Amino acid sequence: MVRSIFMSVILIFGTLAVIKPNEPLAFSGQVIERGAFGDDVIELQARLQYLGFYKGKIDGIFGYGTYWALRNFQEKYGLGVDGVAGAKTKNKLAGISDYDSEWVHQQINKGNRFTYYGGIPLAQQTSAGAGSSESSDVQLPVKYSERDLQLMANAVYGESRGEPYEGQVAVAAVILNRLESPDFPNTISEIIFQPGAFTAVADGQIWLTPNARAKEAVLDAMNGWDPSENALYYFNPKTATSKWIWSRQQIKQIGEHIFCY
Amino acid sequence: MKSAIYLLSIAVLALGLYSYEVRKDNEHLEQTIQAQYTNSLTNASEKLSTLQQSVSQSLLFQDEVALDNELDNIWRISNEFRSTISSLPLSREVSNEWLRYVGNIGEEAKFAADNGDYESWHKRMTVVNQNLQALADEWTVATANFYQNDASISEWASVAEKESDESPFKTVSSNLKSYGETDFPLTASESDWIKKNELQKLNEKEITKEQAIEKLELLVPDIKDASYTVTQSKKDAPYPFYHIQFVKGNRVGYADITVKGGNILSFLSERPVQEKTGVTQQEIRDSVTKLLKNAGYNDLQLVEMRENHQAWHMSLARVVGEDKALVYPDGIQVKISKDSGELLGLNAMEYVQKEEIKEDQKTVPVDWKAFFRPGTQVEEEQLIYTENEAFQLRKCYQVIARFDNDLNETFRVVVDTENHDVLKVEYMN
Repeated sequence: MVRSIFMSVILIFGTLAVIKPNEPLAFSGQVIERGAFGDDVIELQARLQYLGFYKGKIDGIFGYGTYWALRNFQEKYGLGVDGVAGAKTKNKLAGISDYDSEWVHQQINKGNRFTYYGGIPLAQQTSAGAGSSESSDVQLPVKYSERDLQLMANAVYGESRGEPYEGQVAVAAVILNRLESPDFPNTISEIIFQPGAFTAVADGQIWLTPNARAKEAVLDAMNGWDPSENALYYFNPKTATSKWIWSRQQIKQIGEHIFCY
Repeated sequence: MKSAIYLLSIAVLALGLYSYEVRKDNEHLEQTIQAQYTNSLTNASEKLSTLQQSVSQSLLFQDEVALDNELDNIWRISNEFRSTISSLPLSREVSNEWLRYVGNIGEEAKFAADNGDYESWHKRMTVVNQNLQALADEWTVATANFYQNDASISEWASVAEKESDESPFKTVSSNLKSYGETDFPLTASESDWIKKNELQKLNEKEITKEQAIEKLELLVPDIKDASYTVTQSKKDAPYPFYHIQFVKGNRVGYADITVKGGNILSFLSERPVQEKTGVTQQEIRDSVTKLLKNAGYNDLQLVEMRENHQAWHMSLARVVGEDKALVYPDGIQVKISKDSGELLGLNAMEYVQKEEIKEDQKTVPVDWKAFFRPGTQVEEEQLIYTENEAFQLRKCYQVIARFDNDLNETFRVVVDTENHDVLKVEYMN
């Protein structure tokens, strides 16, 4: 008897699993707070938007917009107001909102503009976007944009893809040091495309698709790392012919590049 | 035989046609680029002339409104000139000198307008005006060749490559350099700022290579007994440091450690990192606090943390005084792997040479309700130290302000505690 009840329970749960194979579980076990990034944050933003608390972009970045929306939600539902999505907050959110993970991720991947408000058919919540992902791929310090990251990654990859990781971070840091220097233009784009400034621009290698390592190197430089020790220039001693570059004050050598002021 | 000659003729004809097409394309491309360069050159020349006139006109007025208008023009034109000059294929030296000299004029104009220091502007610009006039004349002479009928792209191509003594911009370059030194000598604050960059004040005891490695292993025990290559900075480097490169298993990285005092400037390790993580944000925070305390960094407070695919980047700032103000220029950045919470990087270059805190700055309270427009909520307030545009360290209020609307747009506003100047406004995502 006990055995047949046990078997029936397993059968029922098994059938349910087959009927609704894609029903997403609400959130992972992580506590989510400001600074977090990824799928959990996408779900948090979508659920807050479903309930009308969040009107910003669903991009997977837990910034201030998400923070205030979460605090407002916590206040409304009598939860501890701390802007942190712990177990209680997540359970409450999951209990009173729907979340179609597949649909939301599909819209993000297609680059569609979309909202995720409850009570409106999904088809009415989206409009065609850029055709490729608009979701943020990385979180950057506030003074840099994703366009800066992309341009710099192209430059770093074109200039130093054969160099050690440290050398790639150093090349990115040189670009950022120029941004701070009065001797150079005021934007990353102008610095990179200044005629004669980078070999990769002159020979077209800047248009190669950068790999994840080059992007990570730029990200580290944007976050403050500078293995070049404040350098403004670098050159390859095997190929450099300019007398002027040899006259600069040298700091250190990384791989094939000498970094200097 | 006949067929071979026939086929050969076809091949030669095809090759001839192809090379003709390629040549035509190249010529077209060269003409397009030359047109763009000539356009930029003309723009630069016109802006230089307008800038000189504006500087001259600014010497006309004592009236503040009229003068402010002119100062605003000068700041704008100097920026436009900088942008145009940087798009020309000049030699690095000429380009740098122009950017610095004209940038200085723009910065002076902005400073004078912001601070109402018109007397100092008039005094300094009397000389700058004459020098700018001379530079504009020399520029006209140096660029005359680029407008001649037989000018070609090769003229431009040779400019960047010519050594300075052969360049048509030789006189402009040397005058820019000497005018720059006399017209805009470094202020005490700028000089301090440069010294800080050069860590020249370090006067601790020198350490050996072996001690530098010990220092690194104390911070990162995971790389103990790694394979090391240690070199010293070049002899011209403004501060001597050990450059330690290491390999241990799948970890490859480097650390720069000062010879004087063995201060870690920066450390970075590269290894494959799993994107999925079992380590929580709180655990990462706790482990960083513990790790930094063990390494002797006892006066830091976490300011910001950002998660990405492989790692967390965290910023910390030194805390000083009874009011626990954060000294942003004495910051440390840390990189922690998401998969295990391992330290992947530490950047302490700014922390090594600590700022001198002057206690004499007044803290005058601000009525935020009057300071901000209605509908703006002040959510957080914190005292911080940061540099103003003149590189002076100032005590400031750091306010997190939010528009109380659907989008909850949030701003970080930094206000000087004494004169209530707004030093920074950042849009927070």
